[in-house]
Amino acid sequence: MKFWLKIFTFSIVIFILIFNATSFIVIERNHSKMLNREINNALSQNMNIHSSVNAIVPIVLIYDSEEYEEKVLANIAKGFVGKVGDQGVYMTITNDKGKTVYNNTDFEMPVDRNELEQVKEDEIKYILWDIGNRTILFTSNLVKINRKDYTFTYMKDITSVYKEHADQYLFYLKVDVIACSAYMLIMFFVSRRLTIPIYRLNRTAQFIAAGAFSERAESRSKDEIGVLANNFNVMASVVEDKIKDLERLNREKQLFIDNFTHELKTPLTSIIGYANILRTAKIDPSQLLEGLNVILSEGKRLESLSLKLMDLIMLEGSEFPLKELDFCSILAEIMPVLEMKASEKQMTINMHCENARLRLEKDLIKALIFNFVDNSIKASSENQNITIRAFRQGVNYVLEIEDEGVGIESEHLDRIFEPFYMTDKARSRNNNGAGLGLSICKSIASLHNAAIGVRSEPDRGTTFIITFKPGGTTI
Amino acid sequence: MDKKILIVEDDPNISNIIKMNLTLVHYQTEQVYDGMAALEMLERERFDLIILDVMIPKLDGFTLMEKIRPKNIPVIFLTAKTAVFEKVNGLKLGADDYMVKPFDGIELLARIETVLRRYGKEDAEISIDDVRVFPDKRLITLKGEPVELTPKEFDLLVVLIINKNIALSREQFLDKVWGIDYYGDTRTVDMHIKSLRKKLGFQDRIKTIFKIGYRLED
Repeated sequence: MKFWLKIFTFSIVIFILIFNATSFIVIERNHSKMLNREINNALSQNMNIHSSVNAIVPIVLIYDSEEYEEKVLANIAKGFVGKVGDQGVYMTITNDKGKTVYNNTDFEMPVDRNELEQVKEDEIKYILWDIGNRTILFTSNLVKINRKDYTFTYMKDITSVYKEHADQYLFYLKVDVIACSAYMLIMFFVSRRLTIPIYRLNRTAQFIAAGAFSERAESRSKDEIGVLANNFNVMASVVEDKIKDLERLNREKQLFIDNFTHELKTPLTSIIGYANILRTAKIDPSQLLEGLNVILSEGKRLESLSLKLMDLIMLEGSEFPLKELDFCSILAEIMPVLEMKASEKQMTINMHCENARLRLEKDLIKALIFNFVDNSIKASSENQNITIRAFRQGVNYVLEIEDEGVGIESEHLDRIFEPFYMTDKARSRNNNGAGLGLSICKSIASLHNAAIGVRSEPDRGTTFIITFKPGGTTI
Repeated sequence: MDKKILIVEDDPNISNIIKMNLTLVHYQTEQVYDGMAALEMLERERFDLIILDVMIPKLDGFTLMEKIRPKNIPVIFLTAKTAVFEKVNGLKLGADDYMVKPFDGIELLARIETVLRRYGKEDAEISIDDVRVFPDKRLITLKGEPVELTPKEFDLLVVLIINKNIALSREQFLDKVWGIDYYGDTRTVDMHIKSLRKKLGFQDRIKTIFKIGYRLED
């Protein structure tokens, strides 16, 4: 059963029950009041008759004539019935011998009037009889006159009271139908209106479930449903962000795999191809040498790729214990290696170091410096200089590696730290580069909570700036 | 056999090895290392086939393929990716075949041969010494006189010619001539080679290569 239908049905049922019960009670109470009033009226009228008869009794006793008695009584009866004046008031007077002294009824008296058997002197009994389609109220009492019992029966037609009762029920029925219809109509719209936000929320949830993660629910009201819609939206945002994160990660991973595949397959193609052709083809000695050279250099490239890749994998998600060390002494330790590398191109490395103790992992920092300097050497021509500067800058400690080489176009600057990204493929290949050096630097820097910046101008040189921040590794 | 083939491949080593393979079987080759150079080269010269790497600088392989489609030159493209979508994309753009790196030189030659035949560019006649081969007619003449060859001998000779100067193993011959479903002895190949040598006087032309197989030499 739908929620709006539940609201609708329950409220309708309750309304009908209460409305009908109330109406019933009101009508019944009204009716019984009117009936009581009629009965009381009739009884007091009967009393009046009784008093009048009692007043006349002494006179009747004087005459002591049955005929006279009856005449007098009939006159009293006429007086009362006439006095009341209106239609529907009747009277009978009978004596104990069953003779009717007075009767102005226009209907058949009921035969079995058992109320009279118990009626005593100075007592009034009443009863309601349905005669034909009329309801008559009978009030009876017994008067002793001259040792004779006279039964006075005063009757009143109270059909109108019952008719009124029925009329009220009829009227009520009409009101009931109209009220219930109106109520149903109103409740239909109210319950629909109340549940619309729920349906909307539901539809939004379905959209989101179907993959439209940016879909949001409307929440204009401030009631519980509004709050629910708000919370729902908050939840949807969190889920959407999470999914976007996952998608981005997935894309990065896919890109990594694509690049890796390419970097792996290119040297493999050369190695396998040359090995096979040297094995099977009729070739001259110069071709043999060319092939062997290619196999050697591509093999070295594969080796360098696999080593770098292992570094990168090792750095991912690992924890390294950091020790408090002198930065300048680390730099001094690695300088001979760097200078040897630079001397291959007759390059000079200048170093300026302001000492500081930092929390570092020695081998990783060496790898970081080596990779940056290696990168600079590859970007430089012969006889150019590389300058390494390390100094305090406010609370930070900064390491700068500056070269005078080819520089990096601004379009590449954002991407140079991506794995396998090479600004100049041919040059990287000639240097056995895999495009992983700067990725490794980035991983090492983030392990030390250091930021990497780069400043570069094409044909003027590049400066890498590594900023060690306090709270991370500086003391 | 002087078909001209353009090699579009940015890695010089791979480009050279393709060239070496093609030169051995007497194709003429030109090498270019990026998409723009390929486009210029195609404007200048006429080629019978293009071997095209997808990931090349300046103008990628797909775009290049789109531009040269009107020339109706068969294209075999090279890719490092095994992703199905890339193959489908390449074939949809009108590539005639594709090869995934790392690839086998002999396989590349076979595909070149197949594609050229599909384009009706195969030679009507191949001559080696006094032997003339007419692949269409499945006819071979020695000094102008027809030579009776069994169908398998004929197919074997064609495989030898396609892979001229390259040695194939007995298994490779079985594969190419008798089909992969054939579970015959490798001595079947020896028998047929022996018969070919005798019928065509190719005792010196068809060389036995120690530990590998046989090679037809110029």
